[in-house]
Amino acid sequence: MKIIICGAGQVGWQIARHLSGERNDVTVIDNNPELIRRATDALDVQGVTGFASHPDVLDRAGARDADLIIAATHSDEVNMVTCQVAHSVFQVPRKIARLRSGAYLDAIYSDLYRTEHLPIDVVISPEREVALAALQRLSAPSTFDVETFMDGKIQLLGIDLEPDCPALNTPLRQLTELFSSLRAIVAGVRRDGRLFAPEAGDQLFAHDQIYVFSHSDDVARTLDIFGKPAQKQERVAIIGAGNVGLAVAQTLEARADRIRAKLIERDRSRAEHAADRLERTIVLNGDGLSAELLDEAGVPQADAVLAVTDDDKTNILASVRAKQAGAKMAIALINDPTLVPLMAALDIDAYINPRATTVSTILRHIRHGRVRDIYSIGDAEAEVMEAQVLSTSPMSGRAIRDIEFPEGALLGAVRKGDKVIRPMADTRIEEGDIVLIFALTKDVPEVERLLQVSIDFF
Amino acid sequence: MIRILHRLPLLILLSGLAALMMLIPASYASATGHPAIARNFFYASLLILVFCGLIGLATIANPRPQRSRAMLLTMMGVFGFLPLLLALPFAESLPDTGYLNAWWEMVSSLTTTGASLYSADLLPLPLHLWRAMTGWMGGFFILVAAVAILAPLRVGGFEIMSSPYGRQEYLQKLPLSADPRRQVSHLSDPAYETRQSDAGARLTRAALAVGPLYLTLTLALWVGLLLLGDPSFLALTRAMGTLSTSGISPVIGPPGEVSGKAGEMLVFVFLIPALSRRFWPGGGELRATENLREDPELRMAILLVVLVATILFLRHFLGAIEIEDAEPDALVLRDLGNGLSALWGVTFNALSYLTTTGWNSVDWQGARAWSGLTAPGLILAGLAMMGGGIATTAGGVKLLRVYALARHGQREMERIIHPSSVSGGGRIARRLRREGAYLSFIFFMLFAMSIAGVVALVSIHAIEFETATILSIAALTNTGPLAGAIPLTPTFEGSAGIASAPWEGWSGLPSFTKGVLAGAMILGRIETLAVLALFSPEFWRR
Repeated sequence: MKIIICGAGQVGWQIARHLSGERNDVTVIDNNPELIRRATDALDVQGVTGFASHPDVLDRAGARDADLIIAATHSDEVNMVTCQVAHSVFQVPRKIARLRSGAYLDAIYSDLYRTEHLPIDVVISPEREVALAALQRLSAPSTFDVETFMDGKIQLLGIDLEPDCPALNTPLRQLTELFSSLRAIVAGVRRDGRLFAPEAGDQLFAHDQIYVFSHSDDVARTLDIFGKPAQKQERVAIIGAGNVGLAVAQTLEARADRIRAKLIERDRSRAEHAADRLERTIVLNGDGLSAELLDEAGVPQADAVLAVTDDDKTNILASVRAKQAGAKMAIALINDPTLVPLMAALDIDAYINPRATTVSTILRHIRHGRVRDIYSIGDAEAEVMEAQVLSTSPMSGRAIRDIEFPEGALLGAVRKGDKVIRPMADTRIEEGDIVLIFALTKDVPEVERLLQVSIDFF
Repeated sequence: MIRILHRLPLLILLSGLAALMMLIPASYASATGHPAIARNFFYASLLILVFCGLIGLATIANPRPQRSRAMLLTMMGVFGFLPLLLALPFAESLPDTGYLNAWWEMVSSLTTTGASLYSADLLPLPLHLWRAMTGWMGGFFILVAAVAILAPLRVGGFEIMSSPYGRQEYLQKLPLSADPRRQVSHLSDPAYETRQSDAGARLTRAALAVGPLYLTLTLALWVGLLLLGDPSFLALTRAMGTLSTSGISPVIGPPGEVSGKAGEMLVFVFLIPALSRRFWPGGGELRATENLREDPELRMAILLVVLVATILFLRHFLGAIEIEDAEPDALVLRDLGNGLSALWGVTFNALSYLTTTGWNSVDWQGARAWSGLTAPGLILAGLAMMGGGIATTAGGVKLLRVYALARHGQREMERIIHPSSVSGGGRIARRLRREGAYLSFIFFMLFAMSIAGVVALVSIHAIEFETATILSIAALTNTGPLAGAIPLTPTFEGSAGIASAPWEGWSGLPSFTKGVLAGAMILGRIETLAVLALFSPEFWRR
């Protein structure tokens, strides 16, 4: 598939990296020659230097026969015009644009993005995605990763196993028998930095990081079994009132349970902007790293601290400082995936990776067809795919024990009609069922073959 | 014709207009059998018109551009000099009163103060009409001048909402006058100096915008009161006194004396336009919020009225607990209907004094007894000092300033707990809290100092301190009837002739004190800040 990505910034770069890794013909446009040079060096992509919305630049990038254009420059307006030009001049069939400004994202004006108005098929707002991820992370405080699937019926929980976890050193088969009514399945285990899909006979050890699929109603019980009792959060401090911080604060305010949030922002006018949009949340103006200000924000008593400024180092330092001051939990926004291994050493409980969230969202839209949802785990180590089983699929009509899943793939849940069930060896997969599959990256093509949905399905 | 009129100095134009208005009481007087008074008004009108014509002819050939700053001086002239002309027929019709007293009466009317030296029942009706009309014209003038003269100069309340330094002072320290202004060069281009920006033209435009509404509202209230049974003349003066918030009435009693509570309720409704400029055309920059419901001035007004009504109403029950059977009229007042009447009386009076009109409700006397406070009038003085809306006919400190100070105080309390917190509400709310509160505080202090100054000047003569204070507040807030609402020790140092009413507090004052109070009325009307601007050396340097 021929894909044009406009903007080689953080999001553009990561999408390019991901898509070029899947043997797509990717062209990156940016007006910074240095970025283009580095992109063509590091990734298997072509580069065009120029202004993304100019028709001649798009022409040079091969827009005439492109299947997909992703406009992810830092200017909303350029992204919009790029999609318009790609549509009107080059008839590019699918157009994805990143729009950050909340004004463009308002649901009231969603009519704007119809073909006859402003032809954007998918509007992506990384900030909004990250805010959602942050909220999910807040809702499950003892996990390091959370994502929902199947319209919120299934949650993927990433859990760090402590030495006092009661489920250690027991074969998984035995755990299943022990808790037969629990709708949960261990899908992945990361041991010593290596991720694998466990077999029934495998055991869990202390300091393993595991990924568990759990029915939403059983989340609390699942966490309890793995030694992470759920706790209620009442006091939350957010550092950084950018689009992410503001969106999180707004959502917290809108919730029924009265969470008392405090928002710290360094830039005065940005702080005022945030204060104008919030009612109950107290907005503080100052450096999120200053101990005095953290004290004023009640960080020592806080149940959770969310560091979501645009600077990774600030986020990390603020989280460390908050933890030292006595906060129960710290979550940091980390853009640079190479910093992720530091989290454990620094005692930061969880991190949000905008790359993972945004790339997940974009991939979800690219792999159209019967794949309904995709979530990228870790540093592109594995993927969770939610897909509908087609009649042409080799899975259709067979019991799970008879399906040749690759070694690194695992079926996490099956949804028949409205019922979500835990897959057993003799569960029969029918046409129209929705399956949730955890697959290591190397096994993703094999799983896609099983689903009969290839990348150029559409 | 219009263009010729535009070239006349404003004061001459307004004098001519006033002279033409004199023909109305003249015809009314001749129709109601006061031929002497009719003659006085007619001759005065002719005399003034002739003089205006002569001076007009002398100045028309050499028109001087009327600059905004000079307009401030003109405004001063309107309130100080114009009453000299307005007083001509008045002084002639009351030969024993003296020209000073007639002038004082006219200043009091024109500044919408409505304080009177005379007993209402001793004054002939045409003179009452003239007083009411003068008040009505004064109210109209201030409504027009606020947007045409005060707004471009950023005084009179406009300083709170507009950035006075010609720049965005967002996040900057306050007085930056030492720095150069941000130049918007194209605005100083000669092409922008059109007739539109000329002060006279602006006045005309504002007058044409406000006039129809002002007239319509007055007529509507007149008709409404007529329907409710008020005599025609009384209804007209009530309507004029309500819309201009002058509170001038030709009888001593309350507005609901004839028309009852229904009439009072109607008056109550027509007092509301004095709470916010929103109800009048022009002055759009004063709108702190988009919709009417969140208007700070209106909210403040509702809060104050409800607060005062509740306090005075509940005070009775507290008093009743203290002395269960001691009150002689407690039995009567314990009855629910009387209680509600008392509540209405308090509510009406609260709004009436908040808008600095000064009508007293029919039920006010009962309410006073009900509340059990010896002098709830002091609360009324407080309300009058808060005043109505900015750029309306009301006087006092003005609600928006009070609101700005209140919000600032609230904000400072928040900052005690969270010293580095940032508060929301939007750009205008933030401006009100910071620069708005700062400027309001300056105004508030100036107001307090003018009260002190006026009280000191009034107290030079043998006048009781309480009397002096209340009279000063009444004059500065343009709430003349306030003096009548509070029991005072009257002074009998001077007189205003046979029709005077020294027991009302004003007419027994010595001439010097009267002069001081007239000055206070003008000061209160134009606002201290604007008057101070006249005294700055820069003003006179060209």
